[in-house]
Amino acid sequence: MPMGYVGKRIARVDSPDKVTGKSIFPADLYFDGMLHAKVLWSEYPHARILGIDASAARAYPGVVAVLTAEDVPVNEYGINIMDQRVLAQDKVRSVGDPVALVIAESERTAGAARRLIVVEYQELPGVFDPREAMAPGAPLVHEEKGTNVLKHFFVRKGDVAAGFAQADVIVEGYYHTPHQEHAYLQPEAGVGLIDEQGRVTVYVAAQWPHDDVHQIAHALNLPETQVRECVTAIGGAFGGREDISLQILVALGAYKTRRPVKLVYTREESIRGHGKRHPFFMRHRTGATRDGLLVAAEIELISDAGAYASTSIPVLANATSFAAGPYQIPNVSIDTYTVYTNNLVTMAMRGFGSTQPPIGYESQMDKLAERLGLDPVEFRARNVLVNGSIAPTGCVMEHGVGMKEALERAAQAAGWQRKSSTWTRPQIAQPKEPNKRLGLGVACSWKNVGYSFGFDDKAGARVELYLGRGGAIERAVVKIGASDVGQGVETALAQIAAETLQVPIDRIEMMLSDTAVVPNAGSSSASRHVFMSGSAVQRACQEALGRLGGQEAGAGQSVVAEYIFRGREAHPTTNFDPVTGLCDPHISYGYVADVALVQVDTETGQAELVKMWAAQDVGRAINPTMIEGQVDGGVLMGQGYALLEEWIQERGYIKTRNFTEYLIPTVLDVPKEIVPIIVEVPDHGGPFGAKGVGEMTTIGVAPAILNAIHDATGVWIEELPASAERIHQALKKKAGK
Amino acid sequence: MQPLVMKLNGQDVTLQIDPSTMLVDVLRDELHLTGTKVGCNEGECGACTVLVDGLAVDSCLFPALKADHREVTTIEGLAFDDELHPLQQAFIEVGAVQCGFCTPGMIMAAKALLDENPSPDEDEIKLAISGTLCRCTGYTKIVAAVRAAALKGGK
Repeated sequence: MPMGYVGKRIARVDSPDKVTGKSIFPADLYFDGMLHAKVLWSEYPHARILGIDASAARAYPGVVAVLTAEDVPVNEYGINIMDQRVLAQDKVRSVGDPVALVIAESERTAGAARRLIVVEYQELPGVFDPREAMAPGAPLVHEEKGTNVLKHFFVRKGDVAAGFAQADVIVEGYYHTPHQEHAYLQPEAGVGLIDEQGRVTVYVAAQWPHDDVHQIAHALNLPETQVRECVTAIGGAFGGREDISLQILVALGAYKTRRPVKLVYTREESIRGHGKRHPFFMRHRTGATRDGLLVAAEIELISDAGAYASTSIPVLANATSFAAGPYQIPNVSIDTYTVYTNNLVTMAMRGFGSTQPPIGYESQMDKLAERLGLDPVEFRARNVLVNGSIAPTGCVMEHGVGMKEALERAAQAAGWQRKSSTWTRPQIAQPKEPNKRLGLGVACSWKNVGYSFGFDDKAGARVELYLGRGGAIERAVVKIGASDVGQGVETALAQIAAETLQVPIDRIEMMLSDTAVVPNAGSSSASRHVFMSGSAVQRACQEALGRLGGQEAGAGQSVVAEYIFRGREAHPTTNFDPVTGLCDPHISYGYVADVALVQVDTETGQAELVKMWAAQDVGRAINPTMIEGQVDGGVLMGQGYALLEEWIQERGYIKTRNFTEYLIPTVLDVPKEIVPIIVEVPDHGGPFGAKGVGEMTTIGVAPAILNAIHDATGVWIEELPASAERIHQALKKKAGK
Repeated sequence: MQPLVMKLNGQDVTLQIDPSTMLVDVLRDELHLTGTKVGCNEGECGACTVLVDGLAVDSCLFPALKADHREVTTIEGLAFDDELHPLQQAFIEVGAVQCGFCTPGMIMAAKALLDENPSPDEDEIKLAISGTLCRCTGYTKIVAAVRAAALKGGK
């Protein structure tokens, strides 16, 4: 008899500890003999280091060590390309570069001694706009590379010139999205120590502990078996904890001093010490016929990689694959570039290259619909991908394409009706105040699940069944290195295990931490854990059950099974073709349709999100309550991106350093209503048909809001955030003032 | 060093502290009550919210000596004999917890409200927690949890 744990609103398994304050985040750790560290940060966005005099700091009472580049055995790291220095060597390339690490008996002492370090810099000319950085003669961020262009991707599908020749309407647009700060509430913190077996051990909140171990071991020149990472409770991540932040610093501190070393960033250091969402510059030209069919798209995207590669290349690859939107377009030409600058490094953030493109392609869709005199839902419905469609990168979308279902569900919920086979928008009553205008905006968007472009995405899980009387499963232990960053993966995996094993969920014991014990399940990113790690847990449980059936099992015995799930078991992916750029990029996809109701004050330019209908094709809902939670949070993060958040750097210097200067939405910004609409078009490759959800909830929010602002006022806002000032300026320009 | 005497979660506590210390540092570093979080250390995020004589304060900006001879309640003092406070229960049941870092501060801010006003409306709930930031939940289920706790007579 099925237990029915999948699809149920199970309370999160980690919440009792979180509501009582018992959950241990890294800053909550205290060890005997623990030292405290402070980072000395680069003072310049681009400068040569001529010398570091740390003698006064080293002599300061209570200081145990001051570490600089020469103390790092192999002074390099990086998640994708190892172009980052643990401690700056020869030069600094951004103000986020750590230059020295002070280790002392107290945090206060470390902070005081830090001020005594004298670094002699020779400032170098910097480059702060990726478009300028591409130009010949621009200052080079990494001289040895000979160029600032880190990567160029392209896609050539069909014949774009012929496509535009068929078009009755062609629209153009130039869009800009800014940096965005993750602003998780828990600033980076960690403790490094040498464990009883002599292993360098790091306690930290991290998205991909096994990859951290790889990078820590590399920098310390140790075998990976001599490094452990124990993941604590994680105070939010959103991509910002995928890269190394302070992991190597605390590991190095412990390695050098042989004592526990704790490092806790202030909020200002957190904002300085991790990368941001990539700014994009996006040029679009899109053509459609008068019967409302897309025929051609020509797109150029330029992203600011900042000072180091981080994941800028895979982010750009994703953006390339999503650039034209979830639409059938026979002729496509896409060129994309990611470029080094002396800005802060940019990195993964919720959406990973799927968040910026819809600002472009969804504005284009509304511009085309308006020119064609078509309802925006109707125009999209005629063009969206369906099962069997060919994607903009040339691959056939074989099954599980829930774009149309999501669009129709969101539109219907928002009041659209199908009249004589055409989607027709609802009439909205405008406010009585003459300066208040309401508008509705629609956006479709899509996002991959799992690692893409031929990468061998793997997730390992180990299941141990402990048997009681009559061979019944008394307890099941699931070991998997999947970080619960707040999204609830621990609970979702427990539900999948309980469902597969058919045992009550309170007999499932989840072990997510300690790389020395749990298998590598990959990163908490790409909305992949339910799909990838869920599959691994499901298969490992099935194997364990199979073994259980084949043996004389009795009380006190145990059965163990491990399974490494590979994404290609679900769907093999391919990299960009070297000649055409065509590819079958992703294992699976989530499809999203958002409808925003926005009110604009035409006197002040202030826009306010009133209501959001958010339809998410998640394949199969493992836990509807957690999905709603993702929608609520994703909508608010998208709303912040659209209307409020402005992370500012001026010539490489950070101007928005803390929560006073960088504003994120508070409870008072929450719209009157968010309507989560869960769409379930299963992917046969995912566990129980599930796809993913974490990132998808945020990607369509800003474009829906921008389209609603246009609907309300007639102005196109092509640069985020759509602040009161920016909308006001656009309204003035439209009125010819 | 100066003496600090307070009633902390119902128990008398006496310790010697550096007078420049903030309350949050006494709670965390001296007493290892780490349920109270530090998110910004400048009164912007509310993760460090505790109750002093029933009022919600940002303990990162609250000099510890100002708590001398007063009652301090932290998240660790809310559950009674392992029985969760109705707010804690509601946060679990409604699904108001994601990463959990803001949760203690949210619950303490909400407790101050319910102690003062046992049946707040939605606007009053929002105002009471408006000084506490959350990046995960979009606040919707947090507001719903406070409302649910209020309906159950949670104080």
